[in-house]
Amino acid sequence: MNIKLQTANVHLIEVKLRNEFNDGEGTTALALLREQGLSSLKEVRTGRLYEISGSLSATQANQAGRDILCDAVTQEFRLVPSSPSRMNGMNFWRVEVWLKPTVSDPVGATVVEAIVEGGLPRPTAARCAMLYLLNGRAVKAHIEKAVAKSLANPLIHDIIVTEAHP
Amino acid sequence: MSQLAETTQDNLPILGKSAKELRALGNARHLSLSDVEWAAIQAYFKTLKREPSLAELETIAQTWSEHCKHKTFTSPIRYTEGKKTRKIKNLFQETIVAATAAVKKPWCLSLFKDNAGVVAFGKKWALAFKVETHNHPSALEPYGGAATGVGGVVRDILGVGLGAKPVLNTDTFCFGRPDWKGSLPEGSHHPMRTMRGVIGGVRDYGNRMGIPTAGGGIWFDDDYRLNPLVFCGTVGIMPQWAVKKAVKPGDLIVAVGGRTGRDGLHGATFSSANLGADAPSSAVQIGHAIQEKRVLDALLAARDKKLYGSVTDCGAGGFSSAIGELGADCGARVRLENAPLKVSDLDSWEIWLSESQERMVLAVPPKSLKALEAEFAAEGCELAVLGEFTKTGRLEVLHHERTIVELDMKFLHKGLPRVERTATWSAPASSKPSGGVDKKIAEAIREMVGHLNVCSREWVIRQYDHEVQGGMIVKPLQGVRHDGPGDACVVWPHAATGDMDDFACFAVGHGLNPDYGRIDPYWMAMAGVDEALRNLTCVGADPARAALLDNFCWASPEDPKQLGGLIRAAEGCRDAAKGFSAPFISGKDSMFNQSKDEKGKDLPIPGTLLISAVAPVPDGRKAVTMDFKGPGNALYLIGRTNDELGGSLYYRVLGRSGGDVPKVSPAAALNGFKSLHAAINRGLVLSAHDLSEGGLALCAAEMGFSGEFGCLLDLDECPHDPRIYSNKTLLFSESPSRILVEVKPENESAFLRHFGKSAKSAIVRRVGQTTANPILKVTGLEGSTILEEPLKELKEAWQATLPRIIG
Repeated sequence: MNIKLQTANVHLIEVKLRNEFNDGEGTTALALLREQGLSSLKEVRTGRLYEISGSLSATQANQAGRDILCDAVTQEFRLVPSSPSRMNGMNFWRVEVWLKPTVSDPVGATVVEAIVEGGLPRPTAARCAMLYLLNGRAVKAHIEKAVAKSLANPLIHDIIVTEAHP
Repeated sequence: MSQLAETTQDNLPILGKSAKELRALGNARHLSLSDVEWAAIQAYFKTLKREPSLAELETIAQTWSEHCKHKTFTSPIRYTEGKKTRKIKNLFQETIVAATAAVKKPWCLSLFKDNAGVVAFGKKWALAFKVETHNHPSALEPYGGAATGVGGVVRDILGVGLGAKPVLNTDTFCFGRPDWKGSLPEGSHHPMRTMRGVIGGVRDYGNRMGIPTAGGGIWFDDDYRLNPLVFCGTVGIMPQWAVKKAVKPGDLIVAVGGRTGRDGLHGATFSSANLGADAPSSAVQIGHAIQEKRVLDALLAARDKKLYGSVTDCGAGGFSSAIGELGADCGARVRLENAPLKVSDLDSWEIWLSESQERMVLAVPPKSLKALEAEFAAEGCELAVLGEFTKTGRLEVLHHERTIVELDMKFLHKGLPRVERTATWSAPASSKPSGGVDKKIAEAIREMVGHLNVCSREWVIRQYDHEVQGGMIVKPLQGVRHDGPGDACVVWPHAATGDMDDFACFAVGHGLNPDYGRIDPYWMAMAGVDEALRNLTCVGADPARAALLDNFCWASPEDPKQLGGLIRAAEGCRDAAKGFSAPFISGKDSMFNQSKDEKGKDLPIPGTLLISAVAPVPDGRKAVTMDFKGPGNALYLIGRTNDELGGSLYYRVLGRSGGDVPKVSPAAALNGFKSLHAAINRGLVLSAHDLSEGGLALCAAEMGFSGEFGCLLDLDECPHDPRIYSNKTLLFSESPSRILVEVKPENESAFLRHFGKSAKSAIVRRVGQTTANPILKVTGLEGSTILEEPLKELKEAWQATLPRIIG
C-alpha cells in the first residue's frame, strides 16, 4: 500500500476593513494608545489575522479568505508572507495580538468548522489574532508597553510589534 | 493492594515530610492546603500504606478548597463581640439555613443542595436562581474572567435539577474608580480597563447565548481597584417535575459540550488564596458562548425526553468536582482516555482537573445512551462516555489502564478537618458625625446626582441585549425617554412556558451598600435585604413570596476582625430573613479578596454583601415603573425617616464620617411593602420608587426627570422622627424601607385603605404632588422653599458622569 504523507501548510490570512470605511475599533484603539503616552500616533486601523494549519493549498486558503473570513463589501484580505519585509523609518507599525498557544481560541475553533462547511479540507487548527496598524512616530518598546497596558493582556496574549508598510 | 501502590512514577511523596516541606510543595503546585489539612492527608495515606498520586492530591485540594467547601462558613469559630465570647459551630447552618428553616415556605422546592435554589412559580413551573462570583479570574483577565462567570452561572442553571432554561442574566459589579489617577502595582489592570473588560465579557457571553441581561448595578470604591467584584446571576425556568435528580449505580458517566484543554487549571484552589502577582496564568479561562448554547439546546431537549437521571456542570475542579459530586453517595469509575481533548499533550491529572468551559456531566441509564447521542449530535455537540457510577463508595480514575486516583468518597467529601478560627467584632467607638465641609442643598444634590454610585448606567445597560426572548416587560431603563433608573426588572417568561394566556411574571431585585458595612456589617445585611425587597415591591412583585440569595465577598477570613465583620453580616442576614419571612434559597461566598497595593501593604476590599431577590408578579400587566406619569397626582411616602446619615451618599459627598447607619425594622417594613403590593395589584399606583442612596431628594429627582414632570414636596409632612429639625436630614437620610408613590387624586382613599391603621400611625403620608413644570421644589420644615431645582439640569448631571469619564 502506498501512503502519501501530506505536508502541513500554515497560511496567515489578513482581513482588514477597506480604507474608505470608518474604523470604529481603530478609533477606540487610538484613544487607548494615546492614553498610554503614544500621543504622536495619528491613526490606527484594525484587522484580523487567521493562522490556518493543515492541508489547505494556497488556492484553498485564498478561497477561505475570500468566501468565509472576509466581507467582500467592506473588507479586503490577503495571504501574508511568512516573513513580512522590514521597513526603514518609524512611522508605520504593525501590532499583532495573539492568544497564547495554551489559551483556548473559540473563534479559531469556529473558523475550522466554517472552513469545513465551506467545502474545504478540515484544517488541523486555526488561531486568530487582532491586528493593529499604527500610523505615527513611536518607538517599538513604547508601543509594546502601551499595547500590553491597553489592547492586550500579557497573561493570555503574545504581542508582536514590527515595522510595517504604510 | 491498590494498583496505585505499584505505580510510582506519578506519586508525590508526602509521608514523613515535615509541615514546612509540605507547605513548600503546596505552594509550588498552588494547592492552597493548610498544615492541618496536610496532616489529615498524610494520615489518610498512612492508613493506605502508600504515597498519593499527583492527581489524588490535586483532587483533594480542589475538593477541600474554600471555593468548593466554603470552609469559612462551615468551620467552628470562637467569636468575641465586645466583652462576650461564644462559639459558633457552623456559621452557615446557624444563620442562613436556620433562618430559612424557621420561615418554612412550602413553595421552596430545592434549597442549598443543588447548583441553584428553586422555588415554585405557579402550579406547573419552578424558578431556579443562582448568583456566582468570578472575582479572581476577572482581576487577572477582565474580559475572559467575566465572560466565563456568565458561562459558569448559566451552567449552574442548566445543572440544577434536570436542567432549567435560562431566561434572565443579572450583573452586579464593584470596581475602583475608573478615573483612578494613582499608581498601581505591577501586573494589575487599571480600574477603567477592568470595568471595560468585565462589561464586555458579560455582554458578549449573555448576548451570544440569547439570554436577556437586566438587573444588577455597579458600586465604585477605590478599595476595589485591585480586587474587582463580579457577581453574575441567572434565573431559569423549569417544569416542577424536573427539580429532582438521582444518580443510580450502573448509570453511565457522560460528558457533553466542550473539549478538555489546559485552561482553567487550579481555578478552585486559586480562589482560596490572596490575589498576588504569582497567580497562575492557567487559572484564566476563555469562554465559548456558542458552544454553551448548543449544550443548552441539546440538554433541554434530552431532559424533556427524560434521557438522563442527573446532571451537573463542570465548574471549579472540572471532571474531578463534577463526577466526585455526582458519585458522592455511590461511587464512580472513570476512564479518562475517552475524554475529547483540545490538545494531545495533557497529563492525566490535567485532564481530570481542567476547568475548560462549556462542559456538563450527566448520569445516563445505558438504555438511553443512543437517544441521547442523537440529541447532542443534532446540535453539533460532542458527547463521550467516561465511565460508570458504581456502588463501591470509591472514586476510581484510570487513564489508559493506569489508575491515577483511588480515593474513598467518604474521605474526599467528609474528611476535611475543621479548624477553629478566631473572630472579633467591636462596635465603632463613636457614632457622632465628624469632619467634612457643609454644602448648600442645591449644591449637594447636584453633586450627589452625578456621583459615580448614583449616576446613569445607560452606557453599560445599552450594551446588553435585554429584549431577547421578548419577555422584558419592565425594563432596566424606564420613563418617557427610556433612560430612567428602574428599581427591578419584570420578566414574562412566555418564551419558555409557551403560554401566552398566563400573565404571571417574576421580578428580580438587588440590595448592596458596602458603605453601611464600614460602620456595621449587621445593618448592611439588614439594609441589603430591605433594599432588594422594596425594589421588588416597587414594580409590583409580591414581597410575601420573595426568595433571597446571599453573596458574601470578603477579605482574608484569617484576620479575626475581617471574620468578625463577616459574622455580623451573616447574623444580619439571619435576622432579616426571619423578620421579613423571606427564605434564603442559595448563595455563595468569595474570600481572600485582598492584594498588596502599590506600597506593598495589604489592600482588603470592604466587606461586601450582595442580596438578590426574586418574587412573582401575579399579573405582569399591572407592573409599575418609577417615572412620574402626570401632573396633579398625589405623592405618598411610605416609611419613616430617621436621622440615619451614617454611610450615606450625602456624608460621602461632604467628606464626613460617623453617624448612625440606617436600621431596619422588618415587621413594620414588611407591612408597608405588603400594603403597597396590594394597592399596585388593584391598579391604584401610577409609579413607585424606592429611597436609597441620596434619600428622598434623589428619589424624587429621578422620578421627576424620568417622567418629565416636576413635584412639590413638603418636608413637614414626611413621616419622621420628631427629633429631626434639619431639612437636610429629611432630604438625604437613607432610612430604609421607604418608597415614594404616585397616586391619582381620585384613588387616594382607596390607596390609603390598603394601609389600614398604619396610614393613621403615620407610616404612610401624603408629602406632595406632581406638577407639569419639571422642577423639584421642596418646602422645608419652617414652611419656606428650600430647593427649586430644574430637573433637566439634574438629569444632565446624572447622565454626564460615566460618558465624561469613559471619554
